[in-house]
Amino acid sequence: MYVEMKHINKNFGSFEAAKDIDFGVEQGRMVALLGPSGSGKTTILRMIAGLEQQDSGDVVIEGKVVNDISARDRGIGFVFQNYALFRYMTVYENIAFGLRVKKEDKRKIDDRVKELVKLVGLEGMEKRYPDQLSGGQRQRVAFARALAPNPQLLLLDEPFAAIDAKVRKELRGWLKEMISKVGITSIFVTHDQEEAVEVADDIIIINEGRLEQMGTPVEIYKKPKTSFVAQFIGTSAVLDDFSGFKGFENLPKGRQAIVRPEFVEAFKSDNEKFKSLMHATETGIITNIAFRGSYQELILKVNGISLTANRSLERRSVKVGEQMCVLVYRVYVLADGDTEIHKNQLLKGIDIEAL
Amino acid sequence: MRKKNILKKGLLLGMSMMMALGITTGCGNSSGSNNNGSSNNSGGSSKEESETVKLTNVSYDPTRELYEQYNKIFAEHYKETTGKTIEVTQSHGGSGSQARSVVEGNEADVVTLALAHDITMIEEAGLIEEGWLDEFEGNSSPYTSTITFLVRKGNEKDIHDWDDLIKPGVGIITPDPKSSGGACWNFLAAWYYADKKFSGDEKKVKDFMSKLYDNVLVMDSGARGATTTFVENGQGDVLIAWENEALLSVKEYPDEYEMVTPSISIKAEPSVAIVDENANKNGTQDVAKEYLEYLYSDDAQKLAGENYYRPSNEEILKTFSDTFDLSVDLCSIDDFGGWDQAYKDFFEDDAIFDEIYNQ
Amino acid sequence: MEKHNNSEGKFVPYLLIGISVLFFLVMLVFPLAEVIYRSLKDGIEVYKSALAASNTLSALWVTLIATVIALVVNTFFGLCASWLLTKFEFRGKQVLSTLIDIPFSISPVIAGLAFIMTFGRVGWAKPIIDWFNGVFGTDISFVFSVPGVVLATIFVTFPFVSRELLPVMQAQGSAEEEAAAMMGARGFVIFRRVTFPHIKWALLYGMILCAARAFGEFGAVYAVSKARGKTFTLPLEIDALYMAGSSDSITQAFAVSSLLVLMAIIMLVLKQIVEYRGKVMEE
Repeated sequence: MYVEMKHINKNFGSFEAAKDIDFGVEQGRMVALLGPSGSGKTTILRMIAGLEQQDSGDVVIEGKVVNDISARDRGIGFVFQNYALFRYMTVYENIAFGLRVKKEDKRKIDDRVKELVKLVGLEGMEKRYPDQLSGGQRQRVAFARALAPNPQLLLLDEPFAAIDAKVRKELRGWLKEMISKVGITSIFVTHDQEEAVEVADDIIIINEGRLEQMGTPVEIYKKPKTSFVAQFIGTSAVLDDFSGFKGFENLPKGRQAIVRPEFVEAFKSDNEKFKSLMHATETGIITNIAFRGSYQELILKVNGISLTANRSLERRSVKVGEQMCVLVYRVYVLADGDTEIHKNQLLKGIDIEAL
Repeated sequence: MRKKNILKKGLLLGMSMMMALGITTGCGNSSGSNNNGSSNNSGGSSKEESETVKLTNVSYDPTRELYEQYNKIFAEHYKETTGKTIEVTQSHGGSGSQARSVVEGNEADVVTLALAHDITMIEEAGLIEEGWLDEFEGNSSPYTSTITFLVRKGNEKDIHDWDDLIKPGVGIITPDPKSSGGACWNFLAAWYYADKKFSGDEKKVKDFMSKLYDNVLVMDSGARGATTTFVENGQGDVLIAWENEALLSVKEYPDEYEMVTPSISIKAEPSVAIVDENANKNGTQDVAKEYLEYLYSDDAQKLAGENYYRPSNEEILKTFSDTFDLSVDLCSIDDFGGWDQAYKDFFEDDAIFDEIYNQ
Repeated sequence: MEKHNNSEGKFVPYLLIGISVLFFLVMLVFPLAEVIYRSLKDGIEVYKSALAASNTLSALWVTLIATVIALVVNTFFGLCASWLLTKFEFRGKQVLSTLIDIPFSISPVIAGLAFIMTFGRVGWAKPIIDWFNGVFGTDISFVFSVPGVVLATIFVTFPFVSRELLPVMQAQGSAEEEAAAMMGARGFVIFRRVTFPHIKWALLYGMILCAARAFGEFGAVYAVSKARGKTFTLPLEIDALYMAGSSDSITQAFAVSSLLVLMAIIMLVLKQIVEYRGKVMEE
């Protein structure tokens, strides 16, 4: 483990920002701290950096406990939410700052700055001031500046929060490429799950100061361990009792069930392909149709519950109020920090995947 | 940022304060604090032979011109007799305020104030030794004065005596007895008149004084301040003033003012004294004594007369009979039982002045 | 605000401007012009001799010393206090902020009297000063002396610098400083390279206000300074000249006053320049 947080606790007065946070990040990995606003993820990041002091617990970097080492001596690169570029310095001076502080040789500084400027694609902008740059350009300067002193760990606090949507997508891809090129261990904070899923190797979900789950994006998505994670990721429906549905009568009582859109299939009653599954379907009425760019998101009222299903644009059109056959072929059931998959019993023997 | 930083900041703050104080006092020392002295060679530039002796004279309000001139002739005299140069620093203000400032640390070597009582205050604070009153002639008053009226030329309001001051519509300027010595003399002179007029009926006398102070427009903190209010600022119809102030104003602006001498007035004795504690500390006892004694010399007495102060030297006083009305009926502080008694009766907190003024 | 598109709308701004101009003419321009006029009334020779008089020069010297020292001390403390208040969290933060504002709310005369109560012959700090003098062989006094004048001046001009710095530093936030710290910079480097460029103009502005105030201070200094030609500042000297009462000395009083008017004008011009440059930098 390159970076470890061991049983970290932090309170601001009576507000509990971090409760027994415990995780480790391997060298070279890119990890996202994902959670809703106010969940404490930025606080955790700042504690790793040394900008906040934990009340109890250890921050360990490269095997060393760094609790008593001040922020300036931890050798960490930090990209702030609004970049915090030095307003009264040029792009060149901003990037060179860390090296100048270390009193590096002038020639070395010049080489390194030029190298980074090239890396982030800002040639020709060295003499500009931050307020002469666009948001995306400022972000890249912040990134270059953080990397200049060759830190072993890079921390980013909601790096894309202040950027407009279109540029955001481009920059996300760019950042992931950069970081893997440089090969530096990185931890970034975000509230945007799409971003976390796209950029990070591992995701840590934080809610109300607690660590909900840590894993790869696929793990988190396919095997949510807590009801919060299950609800947070994707557009799931969480139900207290699903045993009323056909094929799920044997569901353990008292456990919550999570239904993902990809577990739900809605088809018209005259659909040839799914004819053999009709016995396992419920009837549902479309209450809402939302266009999602590359597919349609249908909301159907089934047995008094709203379920979401995704429908390819290649299929026949549907309209609100139309009655559909709704097949739920499996659900996740939550049980004490783990999830079990329960299949629709009426589909036993049928190879759903093939359909 | 951690608590350690706060401690460091606090220390830094504290140390800088010491430094700042150091710089301040260093500068202060070299550019002349009230550092009188041959004994403390902090300046370091005084040679043995021609030392510059420094003397501080804390005086009352109107004597600015008098001492400006007197200091010149004394310096000459001192140079002749001792070969040393003397530098006198002057301070002026209401007599009471000045006395208080000496008590609070204003390092006067000599005080030349408006009344003996103010000097007694300094004595009681422990700065002057007992028996100072008799140290110099005439109850330590090298010059005396009296109280008169200054009116605008033409005397439209027809002011000739104390009675006219209580007429309705007459605006009086007189300073505040709490800070000004001249103001005390003013008050007592008026009281004496009323006392005579009403044959000692205190109720009627208080009533008279009350009417008088009702007509007062402005009470300055010193006699000179009152003169400025009357002359420069053009306020009031009559200024109850030291005779020397009134005469000075008439001299400056003969077309605008005239002096009226009332039928009865008081012999005002401004006293002088050496402030022993400061003089001993600064090593100026001898100089101070000479300074005050020289006030009684013929040259100085003449100078006093020219500045409209009545010389205590009888003969020289006679030579100024054109300037001063020598026939005025003057009472003295003894008629009030001395200053201690007078102050207790009239000017202490809640005494008669407060009674009359705060009605 | 659509109403103000008619003729009534044009009238109100003009009225307000007119009132302001009238106010400034009556309260400022005329009196100042009067000062200059009266000072030159008796001819340029009298004017020059009044300025060259030894009392005037001494007063000018004392005023300059007091102003310069007050400027240095208050700039330093203003920076420290503002830095403390905006970058740190600590108990008693509110108290410190209030303390800084005390000189604004106290009448300067009271400040002067308070100094006498503390450092005067009968003040409680006198034994400490005496001990200090005894140990170092000095003869320092903080009342009725130049150090006293300096101290009084420092006190009344104390809040000016920090008052200007605080809003700027608060608006700036601490993100840039944190960024600099993350890259290994120590406190002073952070201050010099990150904080200072931000506050440069506010600092300068505060210093000008401080100096202008120091020049004109009367009440506090009056209480602690009684020796003409030794511890008097320009305002006190002007008062002494005026109180001397003769028409000559009054002209002299105006002559010395014109010096202060000149200083005021210089301060005003400087202030304008700083404000302008500061605004330009913002854009």
